[in-house]
Amino acid sequence: MTVSSFTTLLVCLPIGAALAVWILPLSRFATGSLAVLVSLLEVGIWIEQAARFDFNRPGLQFAQQTPWIKDLHVSYHVGEYGFSLWLVGLTVVCMAAAIGYGFWVGRDRARAYFGLMLFLTGATVGVFVAQDLLLFYAFFEAMLIPLYVLVGVWGGAGRLGATVKFLIYTMAGSLLMLAALIVYGLKVGTFDLVAGPTSASRWIFLGFMFAFVIKSPLFPFHGWLPDTYREAPPEVTAVLSGVIAKAGTYGMLRIALTKFPEPASYYRTSILALGAAALVYGSLLAFRAKDFRGVVAYSSLAQSGLITIGLFSGTNLGYDGAVLQMVAHGLVSTALFLIAGAVERRTTTGEFALLGGMARGRPALATLLMTVGIISLAVPGSAAFAGEFLILAGAYQRAWWWAAIGAGAIVLAAMYMLRLISAVLHQARGSTVHDEALDLRPGELALLVPLVGLLLVLSAWPAGVSHHSFAGDNPTQAVQGQFK
Amino acid sequence: MTTGAWLCLFAPLGGALLIALGGTRIPRSAAGWISTASVFVAFAGAVWSFFGLRSHGSQHGVVSTAWSWLEAGTFKAGLSVLVDPLSTMMMLIVSGVGGLIVLYSIGYMHGDPEERRYFAYMSFFVFSMLMLVEGGNLLLLLVGWGLVGLSSYLLIGFWHEKPSAVAAAKKAFVMNAFGDATMALALFVLIAHSGSLEYAASFATAGNMSQTTVNLVALGLLGGAAAKSAQIPLHTWLPDAMEGPTPVSALIHAATMVTAGVYLIARTHPIFEQARTIELVGAGMGALTLLVAGLIALVQTDIKRVIAYSTMSQIGYMFLGAGVGGYANGMFHLLTHAFFKALLFMGAGLVIHALAGEQDIRKMRGIGKLMPWTRWMFLAASLALVGIFPFAGFFSKDPIISSTLNLGWYGYVFWVAALAGTFLTGLYTFRLFFIVFPGEPSAFVREHFGSHHAGNGDGRQRHGEGPWTMLLPVAVLAVLSVVGGWIQFEPYWHPVTNWLAPAARTLGVAVPSSTQEWVSTGLALGLGLAGIGVAYAIYGAGRLVVPTVPVVQRALEHKLYFDEAYDAVFYRPAAALATWLRREIEEPVILPAGPDLGATALEAGGVVRRLQTGMLRTYVFFLGTGMVVVAFVFLVVR
Repeated sequence: MTVSSFTTLLVCLPIGAALAVWILPLSRFATGSLAVLVSLLEVGIWIEQAARFDFNRPGLQFAQQTPWIKDLHVSYHVGEYGFSLWLVGLTVVCMAAAIGYGFWVGRDRARAYFGLMLFLTGATVGVFVAQDLLLFYAFFEAMLIPLYVLVGVWGGAGRLGATVKFLIYTMAGSLLMLAALIVYGLKVGTFDLVAGPTSASRWIFLGFMFAFVIKSPLFPFHGWLPDTYREAPPEVTAVLSGVIAKAGTYGMLRIALTKFPEPASYYRTSILALGAAALVYGSLLAFRAKDFRGVVAYSSLAQSGLITIGLFSGTNLGYDGAVLQMVAHGLVSTALFLIAGAVERRTTTGEFALLGGMARGRPALATLLMTVGIISLAVPGSAAFAGEFLILAGAYQRAWWWAAIGAGAIVLAAMYMLRLISAVLHQARGSTVHDEALDLRPGELALLVPLVGLLLVLSAWPAGVSHHSFAGDNPTQAVQGQFK
Repeated sequence: MTTGAWLCLFAPLGGALLIALGGTRIPRSAAGWISTASVFVAFAGAVWSFFGLRSHGSQHGVVSTAWSWLEAGTFKAGLSVLVDPLSTMMMLIVSGVGGLIVLYSIGYMHGDPEERRYFAYMSFFVFSMLMLVEGGNLLLLLVGWGLVGLSSYLLIGFWHEKPSAVAAAKKAFVMNAFGDATMALALFVLIAHSGSLEYAASFATAGNMSQTTVNLVALGLLGGAAAKSAQIPLHTWLPDAMEGPTPVSALIHAATMVTAGVYLIARTHPIFEQARTIELVGAGMGALTLLVAGLIALVQTDIKRVIAYSTMSQIGYMFLGAGVGGYANGMFHLLTHAFFKALLFMGAGLVIHALAGEQDIRKMRGIGKLMPWTRWMFLAASLALVGIFPFAGFFSKDPIISSTLNLGWYGYVFWVAALAGTFLTGLYTFRLFFIVFPGEPSAFVREHFGSHHAGNGDGRQRHGEGPWTMLLPVAVLAVLSVVGGWIQFEPYWHPVTNWLAPAARTLGVAVPSSTQEWVSTGLALGLGLAGIGVAYAIYGAGRLVVPTVPVVQRALEHKLYFDEAYDAVFYRPAAALATWLRREIEEPVILPAGPDLGATALEAGGVVRRLQTGMLRTYVFFLGTGMVVVAFVFLVVR
């Protein structure tokens, strides 16, 4: 096996495991163990890959290309750049945590469930490594299908309505993207992302962007988000907000900005405004949300806005900061939703009016929620702060008001996140919080502690990601040069 | 030398981590000792750096970088420490006074069920504060700035079952986040102009920026300084912060964190000197704060709140001193203030501790008879605070007052304000003293004295005024409150000013003539004594009756309505806007939009009603068809 096939392995291993789980009549325990094992194996392969990655070399690494539909110049083409490496890492780590959580809570219909989660892992990795537009689209769709089922079958009471909404939104986005990429491919004569030239077509650009702003999401395309995040099982919400949403912002970087420089610059101000609107709107609604998941859901909307601002500021600091923030927010969001799940399991609810006082006698829960919450509000010194600081410093170089809006949103973030922390942990004990409600169990700690540990490591060395996402010191040039 | 600085920085973090990760494996009583030891190790590191720097040839400072913390594009900021006169002075204050206060906490927090958490937070705070003062570039300064805000939040809200404590903690954090945000904006400007946040590069850039730009940078920094140091108008969090345990008030809200704004002005003085208007705005802010806080302190009845307003007022002096260009004056007052204000809080803590958590001064009358030691130490601290010769405050406050005289008309305004402030200081300080200590113990005091502290779960009876862990630090600080000021006497010897000169040289305009000095000193001393005299006449001897003007009284008791105003201007509109967005935009428009759009698209297409089967697959089918049509349009039209 050559080094290049690591990428393919990362995609195929979980998909193969998914097929195995669906076909073989394994017991619930065996299924869960196999899934956890495969997800950990993914993390291991990724670490090996990261260790071999040459961060100073521009261009695609771990690349593999095999012709697929020759007439249309479609090929199976995968590989990674620095920033895709980080997003793949985010995916395998968060998926491992989510699968572990599913195993820990003992999801019913285990074979279907774990098969879908494994399939989701492979498809999501595929989105981040695909270097051919049709392949990208295929993975993008393949990623969504298990999600519909996971929300629709294992979700909460309102899961059907949530699934329909999610389906309609994402379908609309995907189909527009499909139209856009077909037009692009036929016009330029190839679907290859590396070889394909840039295009000045504003319509095609908007087609792609439409799909990405629904996926990330941005205001006002987030109608699917509150219901889906509330009704999905917590580990699926964690993945949706931590990883899947990043496919939207990744798409902006890899396709919209790289392949459509002229339209990107033409619509820059509008998209920055959209990002700022998501940031402020999300922060304000998070401040008024009535439950745990509501706050984190709207804060994810705000963060997507921030990441978009970083990308479309088109500055070195903005690009580096956006990649760092995608990783940091992915970890934060995954951890927060898993903690939300832990709280809901103990109290049957996430509503603030019924919660409170959980810190007393539950030091592990209190410490972890406090740590993640504080990182999430971007306290200076945290990984999230580093990302936001770079993004806004970059946005300032575009125009001062983007930075001013962002700085205002940081104050709002402090308000809504502290509100969440105190509503869950502090003050008088809520009516659903009983003395018997246990502190985090070893199984939950085994999932959360590594996530928080990664966040702390990233806080100690954010340059590890921010300076290792684009080869060289000039991301703007790298984007202009299409990473060649 | 830099090894000492690294040791100083990371020892408290190590202590915090040890306590946090050790959990229940560490006995509750050991946590306090681990924390104390870690802070004293930091003090040893600070001493090492201090002497290292003294013997080092150049005193302009040495930077040592561990690794590159944040990098993006060509921007780079290392995790580095700066050892220079300013940072070593702050390191000594933070770790020295900090160590004493943590030691004091061992007695104060004894028996609290969550002692471990408390000491982990305390160590973490000391680490954060050292990061702030040692950080080798502006980004690390901002990191420390944010982390001290965080630890302050954690410690104010330490007793998190009290809703008032949680609210106060959140308020402190959010107001400080506002300061962090303005500072961050200032840093963005510097990055855009110089591509760096190293001190030297930033200061060089400040000289090349347009006046407006450099003014904005200075304003952003001043915003951070004002929020952290509780200067008007960003002061409302500090009195509420007294919800935290008393040693926390002594350490964070008196001796170290709240004075960080003064350090910031001294540290970034080359920028402020390019924006002299803003620097003087800072001085004016200090003058205003020292008066207003002094006035409000006159009517407070909570012992800790009186001291909190007094802290605001004294930091006002420091801002005034640093703002007019006498950075060493501001820093020297910061030093002596750390001694006597920590002492005041710790004295108050002994009284509160002895009275089972009571903080109302009207109930404490006569406690002096039962706590003679505490009374003498409190008296020493009070005299130092008022600035009576030969106590510490005398040496550090008077140079600030006289340094305002060479600035023209507003200099005289500052001067008058500062002198009026000394009268107020005498009055409110000794109002407190005469209400609490002299006389026969009140019935309340007799009943509650020596009963268990609220947190004392083990029911162990204490003896005397407190355990030695509390009395020893108080005694050390009492000595320092007396002799701590002698190291500098402006007319004759000024080692502090000389020491700081390489890092922050006093501006010529802030150096008074000797006549100005003696006149100011005489007046300040006289007015301070007059304040004490009036306080004695009213509260000690009861010979004077306080003239009451109900409107003024009420306004002061409501702290001049700042809280109410902020509530009406910021919080309520933001909350109302958020609620409005949810009710009018999110719920009626955005949330139903997806399914509605699908439906309306079908209706508009004319196929209408019978296709609205409510079945998913029909919707999807039509959406799909629509997209294919769109694709076709793209291909043909473009």
